[in-house]
Amino acid sequence: QALPSRNAPSAILVSTRQKGNPSLNYIRSLPWEYSDIPSDYVLGATTCALFLSLKYHRLHPEYIYSRIRALGHKYNLRILLTMVDIDNHEESLKELSKTSLINNLTLILCWSAQEAGRYLELYKSYEHASPASIRAHQSTSYADKLVEFVTVPRSVNKTDAVSLVSAFGSVRAAVNAQPEQIAEITGWGEKKVQRWCETVRENFRIRK
Amino acid sequence: MPAPNGSNPVKLSLPLEYQQDLYKELNLEDELVILARGLGLLRIVTNLLHSFDAAGNNLVVIVGADDRENGWIGEALAEQAAISRSPAARGLSQVNTDAMSVGTREKMYTKGGIFSITSRILVVDLLSRLLNPETVTGLVVLHSERIVATSIEAFIIRIYRQMNKGGFLKAFSDNPEPFTGGFAPLSTMMRNLFLRKPSLWPRFHVTVAKSLEGRKKAEVIELEVPMTDAMRDIQNAILECVEVSIGDLRRTDTGIELDDWTLDSALHKSFDVIVRRQLDAVWHRVSYRTRQIVNDLTVLRSILHALLTYDCVSFNKYLDTILAAHQPPPGSNRQNQSPWLFLDAANIIFETAKRRVYTGKTVETEVPENATKLPDSLRPVLEEQPKWAVLAEVLDEIDRDAYLNPGLRDDSNGTVLIMCSDRSTCRQLREYLQNMKTQVQRKSEDNAQEETEAKPSAEFMMRRKLWRYFGWKKAFARVSAHLFAEQQKALEGFTSVSDKQGTNGYRGKGPPNKRRRVRGGSAAAAGGGRPVNGSMQVAEDKESQVASLMADIEPNGDEVNPKDDVAVDDLEDLEDYFELFEMNDLVVVHPYDGDMDEHVLEEVRPRYVIMYEPDAAFIRRVEVYRSSHDDRNVRVYFMYYGGSVEEQRYLSGVRKEKDAFTRLIKEKGNMAVTITHDASANDPQESFLRTVNTRIAGGGRLAATAEPPRVVVDVREFRSSLPSLLHGRSNIVVPCMLTVADYVLTPHICIERKSVRDLISSFKNGRLFNQAETMLQHYKYPMLLIEFDQNRSFTLDTFGTDHTTSSLKAENPSDLQSKIALLTLAFPRLKIIWSSSPYQTAEIFDELKKQQEEPDPIKAVQVGLIAGEDPSDQTFNQTPQEMLRVVPGMSEKNLSRITLEVRNVAEVSNLGEEELDVLIGKEAGRQVHRFFNRSVFDD
Repeated sequence: QALPSRNAPSAILVSTRQKGNPSLNYIRSLPWEYSDIPSDYVLGATTCALFLSLKYHRLHPEYIYSRIRALGHKYNLRILLTMVDIDNHEESLKELSKTSLINNLTLILCWSAQEAGRYLELYKSYEHASPASIRAHQSTSYADKLVEFVTVPRSVNKTDAVSLVSAFGSVRAAVNAQPEQIAEITGWGEKKVQRWCETVRENFRIRK
Repeated sequence: MPAPNGSNPVKLSLPLEYQQDLYKELNLEDELVILARGLGLLRIVTNLLHSFDAAGNNLVVIVGADDRENGWIGEALAEQAAISRSPAARGLSQVNTDAMSVGTREKMYTKGGIFSITSRILVVDLLSRLLNPETVTGLVVLHSERIVATSIEAFIIRIYRQMNKGGFLKAFSDNPEPFTGGFAPLSTMMRNLFLRKPSLWPRFHVTVAKSLEGRKKAEVIELEVPMTDAMRDIQNAILECVEVSIGDLRRTDTGIELDDWTLDSALHKSFDVIVRRQLDAVWHRVSYRTRQIVNDLTVLRSILHALLTYDCVSFNKYLDTILAAHQPPPGSNRQNQSPWLFLDAANIIFETAKRRVYTGKTVETEVPENATKLPDSLRPVLEEQPKWAVLAEVLDEIDRDAYLNPGLRDDSNGTVLIMCSDRSTCRQLREYLQNMKTQVQRKSEDNAQEETEAKPSAEFMMRRKLWRYFGWKKAFARVSAHLFAEQQKALEGFTSVSDKQGTNGYRGKGPPNKRRRVRGGSAAAAGGGRPVNGSMQVAEDKESQVASLMADIEPNGDEVNPKDDVAVDDLEDLEDYFELFEMNDLVVVHPYDGDMDEHVLEEVRPRYVIMYEPDAAFIRRVEVYRSSHDDRNVRVYFMYYGGSVEEQRYLSGVRKEKDAFTRLIKEKGNMAVTITHDASANDPQESFLRTVNTRIAGGGRLAATAEPPRVVVDVREFRSSLPSLLHGRSNIVVPCMLTVADYVLTPHICIERKSVRDLISSFKNGRLFNQAETMLQHYKYPMLLIEFDQNRSFTLDTFGTDHTTSSLKAENPSDLQSKIALLTLAFPRLKIIWSSSPYQTAEIFDELKKQQEEPDPIKAVQVGLIAGEDPSDQTFNQTPQEMLRVVPGMSEKNLSRITLEVRNVAEVSNLGEEELDVLIGKEAGRQVHRFFNRSVFDD
């Protein structure tokens, strides 16, 4: 039995109740240690997680509620890490959705012990990460951006993007091109031409 | 059923017996009509509509018509109104954009008439009672094969039938194939349509056959054109690539089922669609590689198609573009490239395609310096499409025929109508017809060329094309080199080590992935020799490309130059398909265009029709046309490439339709008549009781005393099936223009719905982050709903991925799990709902709403709006916004600024740097400006 160390911020704290949980085998990139905590895992100063297997939940529906009660109002982000290991999950998930709303839990589903371990690792390692990567578009090279830009309208693919821009020289010229000119390009059928021209000339705002 | 012909007799334009039968039947009963393609479904629909239009006091709604059909119906209604001189007829009114304000729509609806309304708008108007279902005389549903239980059209029909028991409801389809999938598809469809009687009209229906074959039949001459050897080689090579790709797919553990797969089936099945449909259920889980192979299949199929339709120069150009687009990103290894490109067969494709254009002597050494010796040995081949010569022959024959039998004049014009599959083929044929004689003249002057008889040939046109091709290729090489160079630069920053390894380690060995690319562009490889010393790919590629271009251009210089003055523009205006040919006779080249073709036939009244490509529906149209007019003779020439995709596709198309009808007839025979849905729909009490029961069973309050459950739904969400299901669970669905969230369940709970695909993309462009932010600002319990599709696997896990620790770095979160983790860390208050299907979602919503207050629509609309803003000003078109979001320097704030101030993408692209500066600031403005104006030719 490892002694609970109060000042080990780099490790995931694991409740002794979780002993034998296969997910622990998949926490590989970060240290973890047993500790006496009300939740199952502590993943940061304000983050904790409860682990629930739906199979167990079906046998002992009251279990998770007692744990939530024990948790009280501690922690800011309270994750209910739920392992979907049964086929008829609809009823249980419906119930848990409601529960998570009432008890201020964030429901996270995983489908394997491996995935569960990964989530635990992720939460711990992102403890101080900034959300920049989901906040704005990540910059890529000009060629990638160009292809991405042109392929937004449906059915236009990468080949079309390259042929379009190379035919007109710049994105601006391609945007301003007439449908007849674009139709000359090999690979650009009527539908694509029409979609492209409509999209670039379509108003952003539907005015009344 | 209102009598269509009241005081004023309505004139119909239905000359054939089966058309009249069908019309009579439709007037008597509500039914689902499935008519074989090409038998003129729209004509029957318009006649039916006209009878209601002429009566004057009706409100008929057309559901599911697309833009072109609307145009056609509108035209036909106006025409018929003029013919039968009915003063009450008002023609067709269209409601198809949000731009039409609520007030205008309301006014239009009260006036009545025939309406064609976009489904998404119609459902909102029906729910908000802008268009009261009880006032609707009837519903006409087109394309009913597209309707499934959860579709928006089914929703419309349900609302309509619930509120309006008396109105008529008629559904149409000319596409029997989709009705045959699954268990008892016809009766399922009938249930969705709230109809009881199907009416089937295949081509082999007795009346149809009698009407089309009874009188003089159209004369059809079949011409099987053999493909050239080169074309056959390419086709075989493509098929081999397809085969290997499919084999690769099988090896992935996605459990794809292709038991009946043979090489032959690649010829006539849209195999990429089949594969994609099978993988659809697990699409978000399959690995990158699988996805890539599926995309490759699509590319391969388009090459297969291009082989038959494009001329050899354009085909080669198309291949060049494909090759460039499939160049691997820098620093990637073989894993990231399309596997088919490594095959010998792919090599054959590219080689042969090139040899159809020009050949050079095989150069044994592939040192670029030798390229200078090439010029003498390169010469153009310019293989012509075999159909061209046949076309010229047929035209010649028609000429002679018209000359020899001048007396055989009837009601039809002496026009020759050439039908082909699309506009680019039209253009090609037009150019050919224009130039096929030019060559002859040139030849007689120029004796250096081998003299043949005055035979029409495309050489003139092809040479011009080749000349242009070299010009294009030069520019294109620069473009791809330029795009590639940038990536290279970016790469150098952190992979200088591997770079070195690349130059040294690979030398002398030629890693397999280099081979392919070398052949694509270099003259050295044109001879088919395998370059043994493939050095660092980037360096060599540039050099050899330039070398090959030099070599290619030079020998043709003198051949091309004299043509400079002849290379006039080729009549750019697309509308003008008409041109003079021989005396006064016209040759009209036209693409197949569905039901519009009927119009073309009627207008052109051709004596001769040449079908450049096979199309089963068009043959029937000619039959209908011929039988409708006693005094018009038609001779049809029907061309196809023997043993090609084209032939197979045609044959299997005909067979499939026949099978589909046979199955439908069988099912109709043993279909149990379902009256149940009518009974329940007829009995409002029962549906009320059902409501009460569910509410109590849920442990809620008594429904009798409480107000009915209500959900506020954003109007844009009506594209999904969830509103329909919520309505089906007896919630009142209130459509509103919401600024924040998609659904508001209670005054405090709001929900943003994301399908897995949406989720990925909105993580990528930062949209979800902003949405979560605003939801948190305005609601106490904001929730993110992650909704999986009904038939898709309910998991995020990808097949066979190993979660390596390297991807754990915070700077590089690549998978969905890590992004979800980041999102919840950023917004601890945001709750997540996981739902395996829309049905499940509807249940969860009910659960969440229990014992809660009902939401206030007015408040929900106002949330997130700045005081005084009109909610209707906040509607945006999604796609152009998505495009703008990709542009560098476009933060969410800049984006909203621009979408408010500038009209569209084209306008943004034309803004000057100063104007952008004013709008979004200097740095961002510079970035945006550079993105649009940067030339890909030079840096």
